[in-house]
Amino acid sequence: MERIYIDNDMARFTRRDLTLVDMDLYDGRHFERLEPRRLFPITGTQKYITLLDEEGEEVAVIRDLTTLPAEDRRIIEECLDEYYHIPKIIKIKSCEERFGVTKFYCVTDRGECTIEVNNIIHQIKLTHGIRVLFRDNDDNRYEVPDIRRLDSKSRSILDDYL
Amino acid sequence: MDNNIADMQYLCNRTLSQERRGIIESIPQSGENILFVVAADLNLKSRYAEAFFIATNVAVYSVELEDDSESKNTSKNKRKNKDTSNGVSIKSSSRIPYSKVEKCKVKRNYGNAVLVINDTDGRYINFIRFSYKVASLFDAAANFVENVGVKKHGTIDEEMAIMEVAFERQFSFCPKCGRSLIHPGANCIYCQSKNKLIKKIGKYILPHKYVLIFCLLLSVATTAMAMIPPYMTGKLVDDVLPNRDLKQLRIVVAVLFASYLLQQVIGAFRTYMLRVVGDKVVSDLRADVYRHAQYLPMKFYDRTSTGSVINRISGDSANLQGFMLRITQEVVVQFFTMIGIIVIMLSMNWQLTLLSLIPVPFVVYGARVFGRKIRPFYRKIWRRWSAVTSILTDSLPGIRVIKSFANERRSTEEFEYYTDEWLKTDIKSARITIAFPHIVSFIITCGSLVIWGIGGRLVIEKPEFITAGLLVTFISYTSMFYGPVNFFANLNDSYQSSLAAAERILDIIDAEPESNNGAGNKLDVIQGKIEFRNVSFSYDRSKKTLSNINFVIEPGEIVGIVGTTGSGKSTIINLLMRFYDGYDGTILVDDVDIRDIDMEYYRGQIGYVQQEPMMFHDTIYNNIAYGVPDAHVEQVIHAADVANAHEFIARMPDAYDTILGERGTGLSGGERQRLSIARAVLKNPSILFFDEATASVDSETEELIQSAIERLIRGRTTIMIAHRLSTLRKANKIIVVDKGEIIEMGTPEELLAKKGKYWRLIQIQQMSEQVRKSKEEENFE
Repeated sequence: MERIYIDNDMARFTRRDLTLVDMDLYDGRHFERLEPRRLFPITGTQKYITLLDEEGEEVAVIRDLTTLPAEDRRIIEECLDEYYHIPKIIKIKSCEERFGVTKFYCVTDRGECTIEVNNIIHQIKLTHGIRVLFRDNDDNRYEVPDIRRLDSKSRSILDDYL
Repeated sequence: MDNNIADMQYLCNRTLSQERRGIIESIPQSGENILFVVAADLNLKSRYAEAFFIATNVAVYSVELEDDSESKNTSKNKRKNKDTSNGVSIKSSSRIPYSKVEKCKVKRNYGNAVLVINDTDGRYINFIRFSYKVASLFDAAANFVENVGVKKHGTIDEEMAIMEVAFERQFSFCPKCGRSLIHPGANCIYCQSKNKLIKKIGKYILPHKYVLIFCLLLSVATTAMAMIPPYMTGKLVDDVLPNRDLKQLRIVVAVLFASYLLQQVIGAFRTYMLRVVGDKVVSDLRADVYRHAQYLPMKFYDRTSTGSVINRISGDSANLQGFMLRITQEVVVQFFTMIGIIVIMLSMNWQLTLLSLIPVPFVVYGARVFGRKIRPFYRKIWRRWSAVTSILTDSLPGIRVIKSFANERRSTEEFEYYTDEWLKTDIKSARITIAFPHIVSFIITCGSLVIWGIGGRLVIEKPEFITAGLLVTFISYTSMFYGPVNFFANLNDSYQSSLAAAERILDIIDAEPESNNGAGNKLDVIQGKIEFRNVSFSYDRSKKTLSNINFVIEPGEIVGIVGTTGSGKSTIINLLMRFYDGYDGTILVDDVDIRDIDMEYYRGQIGYVQQEPMMFHDTIYNNIAYGVPDAHVEQVIHAADVANAHEFIARMPDAYDTILGERGTGLSGGERQRLSIARAVLKNPSILFFDEATASVDSETEELIQSAIERLIRGRTTIMIAHRLSTLRKANKIIVVDKGEIIEMGTPEELLAKKGKYWRLIQIQQMSEQVRKSKEEENFE
């Protein structure tokens, strides 16, 4: 079966639940309880958003979120925000290493949190030279979208681990 | 378990303050008793917050608290609830009685999860949200609600027993370092020892302590001898040369000769001894790291590249060894040299001595600054180098693929990119590492100049105060004194580099090995009964790979597991092989929890044939005898015979002595597979697992492998995973897995009659099989 790619105003979306939408395609087809998920959650957050039904089967793929009408884009983005909990680190207040665990006390866009990392080599990754991805000991994810935007103290703390 | 938790009448995963306990206990309606409380860390809007899931004997509650001081600052007029208590108040709460629950499950998102309840009014309620930190407790809580409210499986007491285990598991990990404890509630052995680097690496040096002490004494002797020349030089300048005393000259020269000779002879001997000790230490360290690496769980290798492990075993251990010797030898020697020289200098002239100490604070301060600057660089250099070696270990074994896609240039460019990254970092660090010793040398030279200037003036103006010989002697001692100062200043450099190496080595040595709780517990004989009871598992907590798997396989049964790719078939085998232990539920073999059986014994009873059998760079004979190295030759030949491998081996020029290339190159896929079956035959296991054993071979080879398998499985409990359902023709039970759950189970006939998923798979396969066979025939013609 050919994959349905959604561009521009090919579809209308209605918010159904925390992470679910209903979709009406331009040809009259109607799909319910679809979950938008990123096909490239790390490298491309706005492009190639797959829409999965309750069975986990793909119904369609949004090629580029930015081409959707504003209201549809907002609905999809809200669902993605609910699904992907990747707090953006705004500030690193302090850092301590004890008993082999490195703790980063951070302020994120979702509130304050402590990131515990056992293995700084594998759990903190720098990508594209400016973006830092954290994976804590419980597999929670965090990110610094652009280290250049951090204040100098946060940057200096983080720089030691990159 | 935590004392505060023990004081409470209900289970909770965190210590609650009095005020929070007061609020939580005030929430249930009258007549309800709190059974357990799970503290969540997010609110429904996915922001970090203080939220609780409360289960009573009648209903479940979700409660979000807010800190009054914060809320006053942010929203003065938004106070909704007057139920406040000492600065914390209820922001929102909801209640669902068990009688209204139709379904309760945990929906895993990315980095967070939601406990979802479907109620009897048809509503889909997002009840409470949390991060993965507490996801396993909420899994248990969801099961509790389902079992108590919907399925009514057991009494609340029975379900609470399961919850208690879930809470205990939460405390089976050290809250400080996250490592598993020996038993729930035990003290963490790692945190007790405070992770002292020296303590940990010191154990490698301890066996050589007598040699090291001897070397230390030798170096004290050479250091003492090194003190002689400056003194004799002063004597030459002051007494021998002005008095033209030839006899004295001969004695001084002889003493100097003897001193230099002994220094060099003893020095060479000491260096040799240290080299021997050093090699032994590094070899012990490497062996230990390798040994630990062998026993690390698969989870470690899922996340760590083999290149990085190789780097630690080869490079880091040598780095650390160098540092250990410096600590045990040079530090002691240099320290005593420094003290000895200061004492001699003070006895000669205290004013000049104080002058010569002027640069010391600058050097020490510089060393501290240098240490802070350089440490991150060592980490960075290591990371970059690790990336380079990872590419090497990834790409060179796959050179055929690279060539077949004509990707040599891309592969080279990728390698060059990472080498370049390493180079940039290394050059950056070189600016600091190279500049620092030169700055130190310059400061030291300036110190000598001060002594020359002031001391020289004293010799000229007040020869009665200081003689030329004394000044020469003093300058010699000063330069000797800065040797240790320089050493200690630079020690930080190697200390930092070694600290980074030690971190990485201890990452392996300290990593929690596969747990072997049942060490020594061997069953008399394994009959082969296998049982999965409520087994759930996820590799990385983000997605459940297996959910509530239940089945029983009787001894001698041949069971096929079928399902689409990614349905969880191989995970079942992975758990049975005990590659992963962190699952919920129980897996039993002969009614004994497999976690309670001695690991080595247990795995020794299992034959495991994989889709891509791994062959070692060794002879065919040794590859077959891998599991039973002391097997008799005829047993090995018999095993090869049973596996339909003997014939093709015998046709090879070096037959059983043929040395296989890395990963078995030189053999076809089907031949490698038959060797791996021969391995399993030789092992004579009670239980056999086949994971897609015939997936990548043609029909004819499949027949050969199939007949070998059929000979092997006679009388043994066998689990076969197969895409090609023809492989399962001997199976007397089929388990169909889909999305981590068992959707069908029964005899092949029962499942065919049911016309469900298995039947559909058979239909599809029969069609594709016909196409495949006709294509093969076409090619043959």
